[in-house]
Amino acid sequence: MNNLENARLEALLEIVQKPARYIGGEMNACRKEWNSVPVHFAFCFPDTYEIAMSHLGMKILYHLINERSDALCERVCMPGADMADLMREKDVPLFGLESRAALQDFEIVGFTLQYEMSFTNILEMLSLGRIPAYSRDRGENMPLIVAGGPCAFNPEPLAPFVDAFMIGDGEEVMHELIDVVRDCKAAKKSKMDTLRALAQVEGVYVPALYQVSYHEDGTIAAFSPADPAAPERVKKRVVKDLTNASYPPSIPVPYTEIVHDRMVLEIMRGCTRGCRFCQAGMLYRPVRERSMEKLLELADELQKATGYEEMSLSSLSSGDFTCLPELIRQLMKRYKEKRVSVSLPSMRIDNIVKDSLEEAQQVKKSGLTLAPEAGTQRLRDVINKGVTEEDLVRAVTDAFECGWSSVKLYFMMGLPTETDEDLQGIGHLAQKVVGAYYRQPKEKRSKNGLKVTCSTAVFVPKPFTPFQWAAQDTIEMVHEKQAALRQYLKLKCVNFNWHESELSMLEACVARGDRRLGDVIYTAWKKGCRLDSWNEHFKFDLWMDAFRECGLDPAFYAHRERPYEELLPWQFIDAGVSQEYLKRENEKAKAGITTKDCRKGCNGCGLHKWNVCDWVENPPLKETDTVSAPLFD
Amino acid sequence: MKMIVVFEKAPRLRHIGHLDLMRAMQRALRRSGLPLRYSQGFNPHILLNLAAPLSVGMPGRREIMEVPLEKDVQPEEFLKKISAALPPDLPCLSAHAVDDRHPAPMAQLAAALYEAEFDEIPENFQNIVESFLAQTEIPAIRKTKSGMKPCDIRPMIYGLNVQGNRLQMLLALCEKATCKPDLLLSSLFAFAGVDRPRSLVTRLQMMGEKNGAFVPLETL
Repeated sequence: MNNLENARLEALLEIVQKPARYIGGEMNACRKEWNSVPVHFAFCFPDTYEIAMSHLGMKILYHLINERSDALCERVCMPGADMADLMREKDVPLFGLESRAALQDFEIVGFTLQYEMSFTNILEMLSLGRIPAYSRDRGENMPLIVAGGPCAFNPEPLAPFVDAFMIGDGEEVMHELIDVVRDCKAAKKSKMDTLRALAQVEGVYVPALYQVSYHEDGTIAAFSPADPAAPERVKKRVVKDLTNASYPPSIPVPYTEIVHDRMVLEIMRGCTRGCRFCQAGMLYRPVRERSMEKLLELADELQKATGYEEMSLSSLSSGDFTCLPELIRQLMKRYKEKRVSVSLPSMRIDNIVKDSLEEAQQVKKSGLTLAPEAGTQRLRDVINKGVTEEDLVRAVTDAFECGWSSVKLYFMMGLPTETDEDLQGIGHLAQKVVGAYYRQPKEKRSKNGLKVTCSTAVFVPKPFTPFQWAAQDTIEMVHEKQAALRQYLKLKCVNFNWHESELSMLEACVARGDRRLGDVIYTAWKKGCRLDSWNEHFKFDLWMDAFRECGLDPAFYAHRERPYEELLPWQFIDAGVSQEYLKRENEKAKAGITTKDCRKGCNGCGLHKWNVCDWVENPPLKETDTVSAPLFD
Repeated sequence: MKMIVVFEKAPRLRHIGHLDLMRAMQRALRRSGLPLRYSQGFNPHILLNLAAPLSVGMPGRREIMEVPLEKDVQPEEFLKKISAALPPDLPCLSAHAVDDRHPAPMAQLAAALYEAEFDEIPENFQNIVESFLAQTEIPAIRKTKSGMKPCDIRPMIYGLNVQGNRLQMLLALCEKATCKPDLLLSSLFAFAGVDRPRSLVTRLQMMGEKNGAFVPLETL
């Protein structure tokens, strides 16, 4: 931005809330000279600084781009509502935290799509950056707008705004994308030619090169390439070797407190469990582990570069990491002297080993979080959450014996086939946890007293899961169920939290939306929707108005069970898991039949055909395996 | 031993609060690999004392902190290691070692020199400042924890000096009496009967007392 804008920004910083969000200059932040590189990449996180800076993916890609000699990457975050209004009023453009360059001045503006309800923030950020929202309204001198992350697996709701999506792991495709943009810029290629070149990169989807038509009932009639440069299907990218994939040995250390203010070691990517509601479990297949040696080396580098007091291990299911106990022992040993605590998130209850709990206690005792997801064994079988009541009681008993006294239990309501009995089961499980605590001798119980928190999210069917065809409960149904649950959870020491059903309904619409939803998002944003995932800013009525104005029905997207024959908006993306596998899993769910962990043998999800599951010893299955095949268990 | 360290909080970081700055320093010290001293107790933290908190929004040109060390370290080595661990907007300017029994900077602090840089200044600013200082009493309302309190700030003003569109202010800063630059500027412009112009106030130097005169705190 120019000097005048900069002076105006300085004046704003005097009056906004949390100005530290907007100043940059952190330890380990990139300080490249703007004119030293041909390609400038604005890494945009469509939420505020505290959330953005807690996100591992951004740190990986920020480092990876800045390692290049021909590109630089700056961070751009969604401003708070007060700052956004003031920037608009005082005419200050959205800017990169590092150099305060205006968003428009970057060649590439990239958004990470972590959550559907952050999509209005993307339009707000583009607008604050003085960039037209719709791709068709952006001229040759405008930056290229790209996006990636888990929500890019159904890119269609954002198709009108984004020039190119990157599907799958970002580490390799990001380099290829920057190479293409750099070369096209040097050759003075037009935007369309650049997009055609990008469409040749595996894993890149350029929506402008495809056309969609609809049946009268609103379902998709056809989806096909409209340009010879566009591939029929877009195949997700997979980084085969996680150990040798780029990982930041140093990360910016914020001055102000953020959500996860610690160093993070990604020990593994993917999950073998096959929970049927879990999109991440399907999208991030196959499982790849980082080697112990590499992890210890990275831990050392990160510790030296950041000075952080806390380290957490990250993956979808850390308990499944092959050498977990050994890794924890090693980390504990190394960092006891340096006073670094190690916390273990997203542990699954069935493999929390007691000795690793005891070791975690040596340094710091954080709350225990367990996710039984459903209240009865029947429903846990339906969703293939291979955890029993016995497992849960054993895990919390172990934890209580080690001095834990605060337990969080995560559940979902509105899962396919759910009945009142399943909701009662949630109360029943909470009671069992309380019982396990009071079975401890009095002197072993923590002085703080027991605290059990039951959080229930509303089930949101997601693309590329076996439940991608399922209907979500209506808002009325959810309200009824929440009222019932409140009764079932009126227990001593138990707190009950629930998610806003309206927000979950919109999430379901956007998650499985088609291209037409772009106009709804735009209209909602125009009406003033932004920061939707922040309770105080969520304006459900405006969203409903937007649907009405665009002539679309939320129920069509959220509450309708889709037939197998229907062409799904995301079907042109090849995520590795096959439609056949997802159908098979959906049918098994209806029958209450579980599927084994794929570490115990291949279940034929489709990834086996890609030759990326090299850790699986069992031979891959054949094409001919069908829906009813019980031989997988 | 303890190290007395002079560092700068550059204008870019002026919106960082005191506790955030403390944490940033503690993390820098952890990165430095220096032999630090930790507090006792269940949640041990690095021992580190800043001479006086800096208001949010105010840069500090020569801020002072005291870092107790576990083992003796040469000041040159300390400076080298801590500098490598600090971001460019938080540079260390000097360091010298003192005995553990040396009084804490906080206890020796008597005053601070501030500088306000104004967007614009009223005509006759020099005269205004002189007549302002000529008063024997300057009543003002101070914000305290227990509410607004009337006080006389004249005894806490040790000197005012106009230089172009800047005003240097030597003001009391110790446990017994503190006059914040903000209060002084409000009083000054109220006295002048003009709107207070926008300004950036920087703390230039922390002061101690020696033989009845103010000297830079780090020289004590």
